[in-house]
Amino acid sequence: MPYSFPLGPYHPALEEPFKVKVQCRGEVIDSATVEVGFSFRGIELLAQKRNWVEVITLIERVCGICSNTHAMTFCMAAETIAGIEVPKRAAHIRTIIAELERLHSHLLWAGVGAEDIGFHSLFMEVFTLRELVMDTLEAISGNRVNYGMNCIGGVHRDIPDPKRHLPALDTLSKGLAEIVIPTFTENPTALTRTRGVGRLTREQAVEWAVVGPVARASGLDIDVRKDQPYLSYADLGFESVVRPEGDVLARVVVRALEMVESIRLIREALLSLPAGPLRATQGVPEIPSGEATIRTEAPRGEAFYYVASEGGATPARVKIRTPSFVNIPAIEAMVVGQPLADLSIIQASVDPCISCTDR
Amino acid sequence: MAMLKTILGNLLRPPRTRDPADMPEVPPVYRGALAHDAARCTACGTCAFVCAPKAITFTQEPGVSVSWHFFIGQCSFCGLCAQNCPTRAISLQADAPGATNSAAGDGLRLESVIRLQPCTRCGAAHVPLPDATIEALWGVEEAERGYCPECRRRAASEKLRAAFVPAEEAHHDR
Ligand code: SF4
Ligand code: SF4
Repeated sequence: MPYSFPLGPYHPALEEPFKVKVQCRGEVIDSATVEVGFSFRGIELLAQKRNWVEVITLIERVCGICSNTHAMTFCMAAETIAGIEVPKRAAHIRTIIAELERLHSHLLWAGVGAEDIGFHSLFMEVFTLRELVMDTLEAISGNRVNYGMNCIGGVHRDIPDPKRHLPALDTLSKGLAEIVIPTFTENPTALTRTRGVGRLTREQAVEWAVVGPVARASGLDIDVRKDQPYLSYADLGFESVVRPEGDVLARVVVRALEMVESIRLIREALLSLPAGPLRATQGVPEIPSGEATIRTEAPRGEAFYYVASEGGATPARVKIRTPSFVNIPAIEAMVVGQPLADLSIIQASVDPCISCTDR
Repeated sequence: MAMLKTILGNLLRPPRTRDPADMPEVPPVYRGALAHDAARCTACGTCAFVCAPKAITFTQEPGVSVSWHFFIGQCSFCGLCAQNCPTRAISLQADAPGATNSAAGDGLRLESVIRLQPCTRCGAAHVPLPDATIEALWGVEEAERGYCPECRRRAASEKLRAAFVPAEEAHHDR
């Protein structure tokens, strides 16, 4: 007999509130509806009430995991309106922080994913590695989250001794190559819980308009870093990771290989850090009338910002479309015909970030 | 079998748990507890302007003092106030900010009272500038230290005038 079953807003898989209402027939899921909006904070409206300095602190709090992406994308939009060119060194530092953030986000995800399939020892291993990334971020920015690195026109803090951070990258590469990647791709326990689970075909991926690792795991080769290089990605070169299978395993593999690519990008950016100023402007920025749209590749996919200015002390409009906002609905397509017990790993495989979805 | 190997291997290895003392060193850019130096503060309001969560506010007792207030519960430790303070009156220290233990709790709020001083020339109450700031902005002599901004401006322009315009002509002008 079919029955419906609400999962959430308080969750077995994630710390954040969202609700999946599933229709089941026995153990098998017939259909699902996703509901978000439990932690709406009205950041877009608040942003219109904060001046151009304050608003960066606010926007940084759109997401607790990819905080830098949001502050950075917003600053890039303001810079586009004002016609400010960011110095090369600042662009490199922004790239380094963005990629470190991707590393810690993907590692966090890998840990949560491991936990969801009941693999606690892998969770511990992954989080040990993540701690290295957090320490590096703290050493550079002074904080473990909300780094406060970005300002309109550049970055606030320098990386005085770039070589100092290389050993941590080496340990990380080793940990990924020896523990994380082999365990996820070879361990029978991990494979049975991920292979063929929660499939999203290429056609469905297009139809649901997913972005980021979810799209790339369904064979869609889209990545803003490659399609429309910003910051230093054109200088550093970039290879996107694509898998055709579209199941949870493919999403795991895409994220794992992206971490390897991120480590390479960070290493090269650290080694080729150009000399020069950190900021193109001094003091309180003045943003003339105008509007700009900017896309960047956040850890979860394309982040889109529309910023409008009327030349005043505050932005006239800040529109934020986060990657999770488009990825989360695709859960509805992934769970059809899957056993109920796989629901939590399928949801988690999208790496949903409710904080930024609800913003 | 593989598991047996792992278990035996782990028996011989030291634990991997980090002990509490094994902390990464506090980076110089760490943004911890906020400190405010009333002697350097000019009550210019820049810190309140850049503070997104409005953790910094001002109150005044007209003619007597201006007070700078900070509430830790609203602070996000972004560090913008310290970065933007022109006289470096605010600093974010290396020690971790105090945890909230009671709602009325001490140490959650900071207050600095900046006493206004009468101008040594006209008597108007004003916020005294720290010596280093006076030096950098005006480079004035000892006698002009206690002037209010208005008198300082006047003194400076008089000096400029005296330097450019010979005394007699100046007399004519008037
Ligand atoms: S602390 Fe600094 S920025 Fe704030 S009012 Fe005083 S001098 Fe101005
Ligand atoms: S650190 Fe940031 S949030 Fe805290 S008082 Fe200073 S400007 Fe405000």
